[in-house]
Amino acid sequence: MTEKAILFDSSRCTACRGCQVACKCWNDLPSEPTAERPYDSVNWDGKFTHPADLNSCTRLITTFNDFESESSQKRVGWAFGRRACQHCTEAGCVNICPAGALHKDPETGFITYDQSKCIGCQNCSSACPFDVPRYEDQGGKTVINKCSGCVDRVAHGMKPACVTTCQSGALQFGDRDEMIALANERVEFLHDHGYEDACIYGVDEMAGLHVIQVLKHGMDAHGAVANPSIPVTATLSGILKPVTAVGAGATVLGLAAMFGLAAGYKRDTLVYNDATGDTISLETGEVTKQGNGPDERSVKEALTENLPFVGSKKGGDGDE
Amino acid sequence: MQNTDVILNIGSNSVENHPVSSKWLHKAHDKGAKWMVVDPRYTRTAEQADIYCPIRSGTDIAFYGGLYNYIITNLIEPGLAEYTKTGKNPSNYNFEYLINYTNASYILMKDYEFDPATGLFSGWNEDSETYDAHSWHYETEEEIPWDTSATGAYNWSVAKGVPEFDKPVLAVPKKDASLQNKRCVYQKFKEHYSRYDLDTVCKICGMDKADLELVYSTWATSCAPGKAGTILYALGQTQHTYGAQNTRAMSVLQLLSGNIGVPGGGVCALRGEPNVQGATDMGMLVNEQPAYLKWSNTTDRDTLAHWLSSQTYSDGYYTNKPKFMVSQLKEWFGENATVKNDYGYDWWPKVPSHDGSDWTEMSSFEKMKEGTMKGYYAWGMNPCHSAPNSGNVRRSMANLDWAVTVDQVITETASFWDAPDMKAEEIGTTCYFLPCALIYEKPGTILNSGRWIQWRQQAVEPWDEAKPDYEICDLLWTEIRRLYKEQGGANPDPILKMKWDYYLDGKIDPRPVSWALNGYALEGSDWKSGFKSDAKGEKLTSGSINLLPGYADLAADGSTACGMWIYSGFYSNNEAPVSAESQPVYGRDNTDYGGLGLYNKWAYSWPDNRRVIYNRASADMNGQPWNKDKCLVKWDNKAKAWTTGKNTDGYDNPDFVASKSVTDPKTGVVTTTAIEPNNKAFFMLWEQNGRLESYGMVDGPLPEHYEPFETPLSENLINGRLNSPCYLGRPDTEGKKGLGTKYSDESTRRASADEFPYVATTYSVTEHWQTGAQTRACPALVEAMPGDMIEMSPALAQEKGVKTGDKVRVWNRRAEVIVTAVVTPRIRPLTVNGKTQHLVGMTHHYSWSKLFGLTTHGAVNDLTPNVGDPNSQTPEYKAFLVNFEKTSI
Amino acid sequence: MSKHHIEVTPEMKASDEAFLEGRTVGGDRYIKRHSRQARWTHGVTVLCCIWLMISGAFVFVPPLAQFAGSDVVFFFRMSHRVIGVAFVAVPIISAFAAPAGVKHIIHNNICHWTEDDKKWMILFLPYLFLAKWVHMPDQDEQKSGQRVADGALWICGIAMGITGVILLLNSTIMPVGVVAHSVLLFLHDLFFFVMLVFALAHIFLGAGIFQPYRGMWKVMWKDGLISESDALYHWGHWAREVLGSDNGVIRKKKGE
Repeated sequence: MTEKAILFDSSRCTACRGCQVACKCWNDLPSEPTAERPYDSVNWDGKFTHPADLNSCTRLITTFNDFESESSQKRVGWAFGRRACQHCTEAGCVNICPAGALHKDPETGFITYDQSKCIGCQNCSSACPFDVPRYEDQGGKTVINKCSGCVDRVAHGMKPACVTTCQSGALQFGDRDEMIALANERVEFLHDHGYEDACIYGVDEMAGLHVIQVLKHGMDAHGAVANPSIPVTATLSGILKPVTAVGAGATVLGLAAMFGLAAGYKRDTLVYNDATGDTISLETGEVTKQGNGPDERSVKEALTENLPFVGSKKGGDGDE
Repeated sequence: MQNTDVILNIGSNSVENHPVSSKWLHKAHDKGAKWMVVDPRYTRTAEQADIYCPIRSGTDIAFYGGLYNYIITNLIEPGLAEYTKTGKNPSNYNFEYLINYTNASYILMKDYEFDPATGLFSGWNEDSETYDAHSWHYETEEEIPWDTSATGAYNWSVAKGVPEFDKPVLAVPKKDASLQNKRCVYQKFKEHYSRYDLDTVCKICGMDKADLELVYSTWATSCAPGKAGTILYALGQTQHTYGAQNTRAMSVLQLLSGNIGVPGGGVCALRGEPNVQGATDMGMLVNEQPAYLKWSNTTDRDTLAHWLSSQTYSDGYYTNKPKFMVSQLKEWFGENATVKNDYGYDWWPKVPSHDGSDWTEMSSFEKMKEGTMKGYYAWGMNPCHSAPNSGNVRRSMANLDWAVTVDQVITETASFWDAPDMKAEEIGTTCYFLPCALIYEKPGTILNSGRWIQWRQQAVEPWDEAKPDYEICDLLWTEIRRLYKEQGGANPDPILKMKWDYYLDGKIDPRPVSWALNGYALEGSDWKSGFKSDAKGEKLTSGSINLLPGYADLAADGSTACGMWIYSGFYSNNEAPVSAESQPVYGRDNTDYGGLGLYNKWAYSWPDNRRVIYNRASADMNGQPWNKDKCLVKWDNKAKAWTTGKNTDGYDNPDFVASKSVTDPKTGVVTTTAIEPNNKAFFMLWEQNGRLESYGMVDGPLPEHYEPFETPLSENLINGRLNSPCYLGRPDTEGKKGLGTKYSDESTRRASADEFPYVATTYSVTEHWQTGAQTRACPALVEAMPGDMIEMSPALAQEKGVKTGDKVRVWNRRAEVIVTAVVTPRIRPLTVNGKTQHLVGMTHHYSWSKLFGLTTHGAVNDLTPNVGDPNSQTPEYKAFLVNFEKTSI
Repeated sequence: MSKHHIEVTPEMKASDEAFLEGRTVGGDRYIKRHSRQARWTHGVTVLCCIWLMISGAFVFVPPLAQFAGSDVVFFFRMSHRVIGVAFVAVPIISAFAAPAGVKHIIHNNICHWTEDDKKWMILFLPYLFLAKWVHMPDQDEQKSGQRVADGALWICGIAMGITGVILLLNSTIMPVGVVAHSVLLFLHDLFFFVMLVFALAHIFLGAGIFQPYRGMWKVMWKDGLISESDALYHWGHWAREVLGSDNGVIRKKKGE
């Protein structure tokens, strides 16, 4: 199979949110207002984008952004967006996932996951340039929840649920190349219709997204992330793992060497006579130090005085 | 829609409220159509469009009047003389259409008049506050009586078994094809709308002149021969005290633009959400019974003879009305209906028209308040949330002895006693709730805005105790009839003589209902033995039915029965009457045969599976299409016959008389002859031409601008009368004498602009279905659009210190509600008559019924006034006045 | 200590001999170095730390996580949170219980570096490899190297505690946002790395795996006492001061 993509054409989107609801239906995801959580409509925050963002039970939302615009006869614009996983080719989440729960579907290129493998570390969210992964509570265990590209449906010859439900043709699904071609055509159409900021999104971002978007009013208006990249911290975290392994290994080796070199180490038992200030070796009865004064040797002396191979008269085992 | 060159959304937000339609609009747009939206707010539809022009709510007729004036001044007047001389259309305007297919050339009565100083047409009676439409008629050239002789066209009307009635006489109107006669419709029309100049329209509508001119000039491109423009309208047009005039105004515009009957033209009524199309077809109206036939009444339709005499047209297709009516009565009263008892006509309930009272939904609640109406069935309706001044509705309902609500969930109407401001302990009404099945829980038909009707199978079993409506009907009816039989009762005949036998295999079933709607010959039909289906579910093993191929076979002599003549043919396959899948109405072939999106074999488009109504007008006087790439029907000069969907795939079935069949009474041989092209493009009217001027409306022959019931202005800027003279719901203090139903002050309670300076309008969002009975039962939809709003411009919000998300108390003299504020540049202040006028918009989906997201802070329809249109009895939801302030809860 | 033989006056020698004689009667001397509370605090924290390292490894080391499966990892993750709380809470509680001890620790870790301290630090790395031959200068109560190592452990421990607690709050009651989360994760990992190196060294020395440090574990894990001889070897200056003052010095005969 060739790589697939979902095409979102914001200029055909009617913001009906059929996709948002279809996603919940197909994936059996609950909604906020339920009998368990009665909700008074007067408490609404007045925002059309609702829920305000992706959450543990929402993998896809339609976003709304209205604005004044002097550039068109209409003098106002209303940008609709589709916020969900973009299915990167260079997917930071897959690379950072310690549990192997996230993976790239070889058939489509979608980034899918196995909730049963997810350990809930949420590292993937730190590696996502689009702030997509969310986590749902499964009986005390928190596991990833995000758009899977409906790879289960695709495997059975169906389109993703959001695409199937889209009545206006704003969402389409097919070979990625074809979706890009359609998107390019549409952007040209929009340019001809006076939407100068119209652009295509997802062709090159993250080495190619598997959601291709036609953004009628330009990236900003539709909430697209300009020049997305895997967060530097996530990259550093990735580097840190081998560094830690090597660092710890080197430390252990070093310590082993010290242990080896110190084999057979022995030293005299010391006591201290306060009356005279003498520190005395019990074994030899010799005074090893008088008083409590500072060490008078130079560093070089201290290093070399006993070393057997520096021509010292004494060698061998601990001498005191 | 995909064939159009200009899209005009006015009074509709089709992209949001009829989302599927947007797909076809996008197709037209992709092909190069210009898309315009004229609306008080920048809607989701406006976002798709190329041009947006804001308009003050309730001033649509001023907008259309200005457009007529624009077309006359810029297209018609400059080319008319040349056309009269040459008979050749110029490239920018279709004179051939205007002169031949509309009544532009008809001469009006001498005393036809309009007086701008009073704002009244001729025929006004100050005492009864009604119009006498006589002066709005045409002058007569000659009178032609019906030929009822043995070989005459109307011989059927005197046949045995046909009830007696006065045969109509065709009054052939006087015409002047040059349109120069001062009293011809065109000249009167031109004079009437000469007042609607650009500046006046801008002053009334609050429009920017440049925007308006852009809209007008863009629309004007659709007037060219071969070009089409389409208007999409919805409740933004109809829900006004002059809503029917708004609708007429659009039809007039389309006639003037040569856009009716052509692919991509027409006036697209966007129905669907509250199933207006199905409800009107099925006669869920006070003025029409099923299939758009007038109800019997107590004045001009008190007997069958009077009904037939007053309703049968002198020419055109409605000369056949006696066939439709007798067949309908035959279905309702079965073998009890005979020519001797006027086919049971007297058993049919009569609208009490003698006292001028109205029995509309709007007046029902007045009647409950008065104590006239003591019981109430709210069946698939939720007036305690959806009716205007819904607070008045619930207080009125408290006077009922009993109330039955049939719905899927406990609606506000089912629980009217439970409203936050009601005291249940003081209400004596006995309330019943009957749960009904959702469309997916029963088989049956569904109808769309394009008159396409399609059979759907049952998907799931009804939930819990819910039953399909027809089963509830059957249970009630059977029990009522049993009680009448056993115990007797008032007026028993209509109950006991009614035919009610729609059972298949012992159960009530929509298939026998479909047979009745389609129509059948009594000969060869046996309803008495009880219908049983064979094992395959195709044929009958007991009982029989002889389905008719279409309404052309209906008779007025009692030999046919048909409940719904317009649907006739939709369920006509006698080979497998039990199998809905084998019927035309099941159509699932989605092949686009002609490439125009007719989809002739998908579903069934009544009447006679015609996809574009009035399609004769898509071709010129010689029967050749205006646009050869968009051909619906065509006269074949060689074959001397029409090419239509009847003989060629990809064409449309003719909505005109394309041929005539005569049966030789002796030999029984049928001879069919083609009818050559003529000017009879609108054969559902007796004159068979479209009406720029019409005597059919109760409130004026031409659409004239009046202000809404509640207006920010103190005077009408274009004539001397503030409000429409005839609007429904005129209170006691204003209207009088002629009106049978008095609307109480509580019901209307007009607010003035000094106290309530903001024009409000209501609308729906895509996530919710009207009062939310279905959609508020779905948490995902409540989550997506979690509350009602008041939308306002940033300028107004700043003035009132309101931010998005603030709670706002909105009130007028009828009620107050609290909703969430949405501050948006999508609404902008307008300049009306030189002054800044603010508009606010409100949704109306939430209320106190115990669905998800209930609110106890009032329903938005508590604010709307109980006034409406006198033709259609549609309330004025779309323009009223409010004030508001920031509050907390 | 000097390699040179030290000449002692006869008087002093006599005194020394008398002193040595007296020792056999009085018993061996031990210095009390770590209080019971300090030892318990250290012990609990160490156990926590070990558990945190093991459980953390299941998230940190992908093959380990994949081998163990999500249920096992889930158990370790949850234990990481619980034990993490203990790791943070126990030292804090202990600190509140003994403010003087906290002051003492701070003083010992942040104090003036003498010449001996500096010399010791320079000699430390060679010493680790050449312990038999390199003799270290005397030290005060806290060796200079100890200050560095303990300081590193303290800093890493505190940093991991803080980042850990915020990460815990992030996933429960107080989301901090994706960027902060990602930065916190990185810091947690970074401090872990530093801590791991120092902890390994600390164990090597403190547990007495390193031969010159043999028996040192007892100071922290047994009775908190250090023998006179070991004290003189490791913290010579301090040992002489304490022995001289006789404050906190315990005498035990063999077998006692």
